[in-house]
Formats: sequence, structure tokens, C-alpha cells
Amino acid sequence: MKKKMGVSLILALLAVAVLGGCGNGDKNTITFWTPLTGDDGAYMDQLVKDYNATNPEYKVKHVITSDMYTKISTVLNSGKGVPDLSIIHADRVPSFVKQGVLEPMTAVMQAQPELKEDNYLPQAWATGNVEGTQYTVPLDIHSNAMYYNKNLLKKYNAESFLDDDVVTIDEMLSLQGKLDDGDYVVNDALLGWVVLAQIQNLGGDIQQDGKPAVNTEAMKQAFTEIKKVADAGLMTPFGEDGYLMFQAGNVLFSTDGTWSSTAHAAVDGLDFGVTNIYSTSADTYTNRASSHLFSMLKNEKRTDEKEQAIGQFLEFIRQHSIEWAKAGQIVASKQVIESPDYNNYIQSFFTSNEKEIESLYIYTYEYYPYVAEAVDTYAADIVRGNVDIDETLATMQKFVEDKIAEGNSAAK
Amino acid sequence: MKKKSLTPYFFVGPHLILFIVFILLPTLYGIYASFTQWNLINDPVWVGLANYKTILFDAESTFYTQFMNGLKNTLIFVVLSVPILIVIPLMIAVSLEHKKVKMKNVIQSILYIPGLISISAAALIWSLIFNKQLGITNNVFGSETVWAANQPYAWLIIIVITVWGGVGGNMIIYRASISGVSKDLYESAEMDGAGPVRRFSSITLPSIRFPLIYTFVMTTAGAFNVFGQPLMMTDGGPRQSTTVLMMYIRQLAFGHGESIAGMASAMAVLLGLVILVISALQYYVMNRNAS
Repeated sequence: MKKKMGVSLILALLAVAVLGGCGNGDKNTITFWTPLTGDDGAYMDQLVKDYNATNPEYKVKHVITSDMYTKISTVLNSGKGVPDLSIIHADRVPSFVKQGVLEPMTAVMQAQPELKEDNYLPQAWATGNVEGTQYTVPLDIHSNAMYYNKNLLKKYNAESFLDDDVVTIDEMLSLQGKLDDGDYVVNDALLGWVVLAQIQNLGGDIQQDGKPAVNTEAMKQAFTEIKKVADAGLMTPFGEDGYLMFQAGNVLFSTDGTWSSTAHAAVDGLDFGVTNIYSTSADTYTNRASSHLFSMLKNEKRTDEKEQAIGQFLEFIRQHSIEWAKAGQIVASKQVIESPDYNNYIQSFFTSNEKEIESLYIYTYEYYPYVAEAVDTYAADIVRGNVDIDETLATMQKFVEDKIAEGNSAAK
Repeated sequence: MKKKSLTPYFFVGPHLILFIVFILLPTLYGIYASFTQWNLINDPVWVGLANYKTILFDAESTFYTQFMNGLKNTLIFVVLSVPILIVIPLMIAVSLEHKKVKMKNVIQSILYIPGLISISAAALIWSLIFNKQLGITNNVFGSETVWAANQPYAWLIIIVITVWGGVGGNMIIYRASISGVSKDLYESAEMDGAGPVRRFSSITLPSIRFPLIYTFVMTTAGAFNVFGQPLMMTDGGPRQSTTVLMMYIRQLAFGHGESIAGMASAMAVLLGLVILVISALQYYVMNRNAS
């Protein structure tokens, strides 16, 4: 009996020791965390596999990490198991830099001279630059995009909307009263992003002198304009799945993301194309975007050799990320988007000319995530007229200010 | 002799270690965090009772509004779901005792299985069932509204999925305890001319008093922690009328942008206190009435 207990005790201790050993990666392995829990994770797996097949000295181990940002804060706190490389979203950069948890890419860029601004889409590169220091190297831009149903456009004689690459709200309103029962002009997918695009179209912004500006004329006008479409009964009904209704062939335009093209392509009989998000004016258009960025979280254990090796991997990605285009994303590397193969991908529309590239707008305001959260929380109710717009904008402004106040005092 | 006295600790030990590591220490740290401002990355900054003051008394604050709305919605959920989750399983358990009911175990299994399905998978199925285009609401009941986006239907579907998933657990407990009641009692009651209702209220109910108290307290505590059903079925809508407190807490701590974990912890501690007080009250009242 005693012996048995001894054995099980040893086993238990062993298990603890083994589990405790998790995370202490191999010295010659680059641990690479990504939040790519969807289909795109498989494309990144493939890229990593291709890179490892070139027999580099340091192999890359891709770890798809759900709840990655929570885990990042845990490992940063304990200082153990910090990944060598990770993909973060553009809107995380300002706060991570402020908190001092990002390692600049300086050494990596010195080792790999091609990892430079000129070789990437400008806004994807710039979003990782804080006060002259480059903290990230971009993988892609993923953007709000407007898909259209070709058959429905033809049916309702609306193909001319696409002529100048900008569908205006007025154009959409012109279809009022002309649609069959059960058909709609546009859905409300990613409505918050559409609102944030209109703010740019209207010349507004979400901040003024570093202070959040939510309760503004531009914001009000953005909502009022979009609301016109809903009021005219042209938007898919409140609460219904407009994304599915587009795939079912009942909606002319769907305002979702570049990454949805693969899902739309899988729908039988859906003949679709892609264009810019609709705009308040015929002169300008904006597609609110974000970016996946390679970054190194601060880790004293990361050797200089490893940083060099990370540079090699990023250079490989720069040259070979055409694989990433399969996930529907706009690849950030100019070498890839200028290659003829890239034109086979529908999202190449967004890099087809300078004006298109400029239309991909990434908000870099430090507190953008709070603003976006406020917009996402209230957008649907404002657009559907469920709430008073002035009152709600004031609530949203307060929402963002209160959250910022909490963070500010904590940083002191 | 000395060695012998160590033995119990080996049996309690594993649980004790797990309890300390995964329950006690995190709880204590959570309580500590509620007195701080903390973004999960930098060191927590002690602010004393400031978080609690904001949540409870600063009517202007977003956190006050969120806490009050979240608590209100959580209470609505508790009041709607707990009685159903007690009464229906009890009725099923009692009716399964009837001599003429066949295949008792099959029925029991069918009712129990939903509780084993993960809430997100179940919610996906149910949201299709309640989908206006594809589901029963429009095609069978001819309802023109989108249930998940309109009250009171939004609460209705949350309650339906909760009851569907939660009936089995309590039913098993009731069945087990009813089968422990001596058959002699029922037989003699029958001979004395007691009807089924009388037998239920005078024999069954008093005999399963403790399981009843236990399920009542546990179901209530569980209902206060509701999170998955409203998140998956309605995403807190319409107009945040089904956003329960746990959803706000999670958003604050692990939502967009910099974490506001101190405030989230304070809300969690307050929720914990509410659960503690209500559970204690329930236990006290039911136990007193029973004895």
C-alpha cells in the first residue's frame, strides 16, 4: 500500500514536472503565436511549413492561440513562455508600445535590408511606426469590402452604380420601391466598420488632439446618411442574418470583409464581384481596414541570433506570401501584389491603383479599440431608429471617455 | 501511529492542492485586483474602494450603468429560469415514478443528453430553429418578428435553451432521491385514502427536502453566472436588454483595447457577494420552513 502510494506520488510529481516544462521551447525554434483561429490559420501553417522546408537553422513553430491577447498578458506578467514572434492586429500597436511590451524591429531590419517601407503597402507599414521607431512588419491588410450580386444588379438595372467604383447612398436610395418583395439593396454586416468609413468620407475623425471625438457632427451625419437606407426599407431587416441573405441571393450588396470572398465563392450559384464600401459622396470612398502585423513581444531571453533568424522568416514571408492571398487577405508585400498571379485573387481590386490603395484606411488612434467598441455596440440601434441619436452619441462619448480614464490612471 | 495520521491528507491532498491553486488563490487575487486599476500587463495600482464607489454610486459613469443594467438583466434571467428549472424536472421525476410509464431510463437519458452538449453548439442549432427565414417561428407560427432581436421573444429563446439544457441535471437528482423514499409510506397513504396530490405534497416533497434545497441553491447560483446563452443567442440585444453582468465583466477585462481588469474584478466580486447573500438566504428560509 505504502509502495503504491509512493509510486503514484512520484508519477504525480513527474506529471507536474513535465507539464511545468511546457513552453520552454527548443533553443533553435522560433515560437510563433497567431490569433488565426479560422480557415486562415491553415494558410499560415502552410507558409510556415514551406519555410521550414528550406531547412533554416531556426525552425518556426506556429501556435494558433485562441484568446491570444489574454494569454499574451499572462506570459508578459510571468515573463515565462513569451513567444519569439507573434501576429498582432494594427489597433493593438499604440497601447502595446505605450505599455512598453514591444521590441523594435530595428535589428531585424538591419539584418534584412529588404524589410523596409518601400516594399510594403504604405499604411500597413506605417501602422507599426510609433514616433519614428518601427515595431512591426506587416503581413496583410484586411479590409471592409462590398460584394455585389451580379445577377441582381443586372435584374434591377443597377450595373451603372459600379461605373466610377463608388456606390453612393443616393444611388442605393434610387432603388426604393423597385425591389421585389424579400429583396434588399444592402445588408448590415460589419455595420460599425461602414460607419467608421463614412466618418473619413465626411472629413471627420474619431479623435481631436488625442481626445476621443465620438459625439461629433461627422459621426451624426454618418449615422444619419446610413439611416436613410434603413428607413427606406432597403437594408436587410433588423436582427436578421444579412450575410446569409446575401449568400442566398436576396441582397444586392454585402458590406463584409475581404476574407469573406472564400466563403462566398463556396456558395453554389452566387455570382459576385467586389467593390468599395458605399459612400456618402460620389467624390470619395473609404474602406475601413486593419492589418496583421508581425511583432516581437519584449523577452530578454530572445538571443540576437534568434532575431536574425526571425528576420529570415519575415523575408521569406515577404517573398512568398502569395499563399496568404488564398485566405482572401490583401497581402502587404509589394513584391507579391505586383506579381501577375496575384491578379487571380478577387481582393487584388483593392490594390489595382493608387486611389484604391489609399482607400484602405487603418485607424491608428491610441484609443481606437474603445471607439470601435462603442460604435459596434450602438450602431445597429441608431441606424434602425431604435434610439435617439443625440442621446446615444453622448452615451457613446462618455463610454469611451470612462474607459480611457481607467486606463490612464493605471499607467501612472 | 504517526504515519497513520498522515494518510487522510493523502486523500484530501490532491483536491486541496487543486482547490488552492485554481480556486482559492485566483479568488483572493481577484478580490485584490478589485481594489486596483490594472490593465493585465502593467503592475496593478492600488486605488482602494474607488472602483466600488464608481460602480455603486456614480450614476454618471458608464460602469455604473453597465453594472446596474447587467445586474438587472441577470436578475430577470434568474427569476425567469430558476423556478422552471426546479418545477419541470420535479414534475418529470415524479411522473417517471408512475407504474405505467415505460422505458424510464431511455426517457431519462433523452432529457439528460442536452446538458452534455456544449452551449455554443446548442446555441447554433437553436438559433437556426428560431431563425426567421429557416426556422419554426415564421414557418410554423407565422410570426413576422425576428425573435432574437425583439422582446419579449429574446428572453423567451434564452429561457428555452436554458431549460432544454438544464432540465436533465436536476431531474436525475430528484429521481435518485424519490427512489430512496420508502414505498411503505405511499402504500399506507393510499390505504388511508390519500390522492396523488396529497401523496406528493405530504410524502414526496418533505422526503426530498434536502435535495430540493441543494438544487434550488445551486441552480440559482448557476443562473447568476449566466453567460453563454445570451452571448450566443442574442449577443445582449435588443438594446442591451439581455446583456447580463458576466458579459460586461468579460468585455471589460478581455474585450477590445486595453483591459480594465480592476473594474471588472470589482463587478465580479459584487456579483459574488449577491450570489452569496441570496444563497444563504435561500438556505436559511427553506431550512427553517422545512423544520
